[in-house]
Amino acid sequence: MNRLVGRRTALLSGVAAVAAPSVLRAQGEPIKIATLTPLTGAGGSYGPVMAKVAKAVVDEVNAAGGVLGRKIQLVSEDDQTNPDAGVRAARKLIDVDKVSAIVGTWASAVTTAVAPLCWESKTFLCTVSGADSITQLPHQGYLIRTQPNTVLQITRTGDFLVSLGAKKIFTLVPQAPFAQHSIEIMNGVARKAGGSHGGLIYDDKKTTYRTEVDQALRFGPDAILCAGYMPDTVVLLKDLYRAGYKGKIIGQAYAINQKLIQQIGQNEVVEGVYTYAPSVAEGSRALERVKKMSGLSDPDPYTSQVYDHVNMVLMAMAAAKDTTGTAIKDNIRKVSQGGGKAVDNAIDGIKAITAGEKVDYAGASGPCDFDDKGDILDCKFRYEQIKAGKPVLVKIA
Amino acid sequence: MLNYLLFIATIGGIYGLLALGLNLIWGGTGMVNLGLAGFFALGAYASALLTTTGHLPILAGWVAAPIVAGAAGLVVVLCTTRLREDYLAIVTLGFAEVVRLVASNEIWLTHGTDGISGIPGPWRATLGREWFNAAYLPILLVVLVAVFWLVRRIDRSPYGRVLRAIREDAQVAQVAGKAVLRYKAQAFALSAAIAGLAGALYGHFTSYIAPDLFLPLITVYIFLAVASGGVGSPAGALVGAYLLMALLESARFFVEYIPAVSAVQRAALKELLIAVALILVLRLMPRGLVPERIPRAPRA
Repeated sequence: MNRLVGRRTALLSGVAAVAAPSVLRAQGEPIKIATLTPLTGAGGSYGPVMAKVAKAVVDEVNAAGGVLGRKIQLVSEDDQTNPDAGVRAARKLIDVDKVSAIVGTWASAVTTAVAPLCWESKTFLCTVSGADSITQLPHQGYLIRTQPNTVLQITRTGDFLVSLGAKKIFTLVPQAPFAQHSIEIMNGVARKAGGSHGGLIYDDKKTTYRTEVDQALRFGPDAILCAGYMPDTVVLLKDLYRAGYKGKIIGQAYAINQKLIQQIGQNEVVEGVYTYAPSVAEGSRALERVKKMSGLSDPDPYTSQVYDHVNMVLMAMAAAKDTTGTAIKDNIRKVSQGGGKAVDNAIDGIKAITAGEKVDYAGASGPCDFDDKGDILDCKFRYEQIKAGKPVLVKIA
Repeated sequence: MLNYLLFIATIGGIYGLLALGLNLIWGGTGMVNLGLAGFFALGAYASALLTTTGHLPILAGWVAAPIVAGAAGLVVVLCTTRLREDYLAIVTLGFAEVVRLVASNEIWLTHGTDGISGIPGPWRATLGREWFNAAYLPILLVVLVAVFWLVRRIDRSPYGRVLRAIREDAQVAQVAGKAVLRYKAQAFALSAAIAGLAGALYGHFTSYIAPDLFLPLITVYIFLAVASGGVGSPAGALVGAYLLMALLESARFFVEYIPAVSAVQRAALKELLIAVALILVLRLMPRGLVPERIPRAPRA
């Protein structure tokens, strides 16, 4: 008897789960767009604030009258930093919510898994993932990314090291989609500058890197690129220090951060280490708005990029006078680049577009101009050096 | 909406296949195989590679996947004949991690952490996205029903009784003259083959696989499905897999109507809801939704 009741209740709640949204959805016709960011899992420290800023942009535009006289509704799903969960969430966004654009996918594996669903269903996808392979997918234009790809990142880092006088560069990189490619690109940069280069790929879950460090030092480098994540870079920097390495070290700012300095606990280990990161558009009005929306004094590049995604998608809809994914695809470059009135937010942009003006958006993450494959053309980088446990700005270029 | 339900039903069916495979080995012989994700991955990669770089038809991939995974299962079980319970669990978990690490490092073969994209689906191009979903579900259901029929037959047969005897006490089974090792090896290989088949069906459905898909999380999901459905009962495994999928997905819609919480709180609430629901199932029905029923042995 007891079991029967249990089954019936289970069945009822299942039916309710399926039926509820369609009942509640029948009112109004807002334009739907979605964020698919990692709210839990490895990317869980970035996704929540990304979703928050996207929501703030949508609220702002709604308060100013929306797009094409319609309100915008933002749906936020969690990709759990996992491709399987990401695909299920994306299917819900595409098939149930019928969103016209998804913004903010973070992990490369999630983006690669979600991208086919988007282009097959003509949903526009804006991503912050860096793996080079993503824009090489047959996405038919339904994908753009604001994160500089590996080629751009490593070339700039290499140029920076060369400008510091490095002749023998060694690259230490964990196994990841960008690993082999990073080494090849750095090789090219070093050779072109008349220097030499060596590299190795390591496993990012090891507890010691003594053999890797030995191998690197046998090469006799005067600069080492540590292109890993935070936990493995902690171990790597300690082992480099113990081995008595005195040359230059550079790494990603997301790995060599305040937390890393704290975990290492000894300032002399990280003294003089350089960091690089795709720079947000420092000093721009757009970035000031992102600071206000996110409540952070120093928002990360991903948050700035999501701010730009939402603004560009909404302006593309206004320019197309249509809200479908295809309309966004066909018009996004008309609002992001190619000259015209300079705008840094969708409200001004939509006003100008309605008045028949051509706009050129430059946002919180940079100029936001894209090539045919969906990669950004240019982006500023920010170089810092750790001095007495504090990062000091070297230059933004 | 319909398209989404079809998609969820298909993924649920793939979880169902995995659950049937796990139930055979865990419910049947009592061997804890934490390497399920590894066999799932092997099948997915075998089929994806044969049909993309190998240019073979999809059917060849579907045939090869269970063979590859089954063979790997045989190797694993023969390497671990002396291990039981926790020790077997540790080794199989290690096996799954090895598969994942090989997949992320042998770039020449597997494209590393980029994964393999553009895996062909049957008639995907001609059917278009929506009809492809509708066509894939029946294919999957046919496979699911066939596998269900197979494992249920095993469950009811004298062979299944031997497996259960091994689960209860391997020594007694041995004394009764049963070749325990042979039974264990066969069951383990069959279970691995079913997981491999599930992997192949998954890859050709979503068109993309990557090492990140085969984290131990998926194994945990399937253990949850089998535990809540009823360990030792094939019908329970299926019910459990669909229950898990229903929970995972319906929680999304419930939390959307909770006002005044941020996106991240909503995500956390979603996980909480799923956990509470599973705890309730196991608290109220400790033997699962469809408890195991052991048929009486016929009189000789």
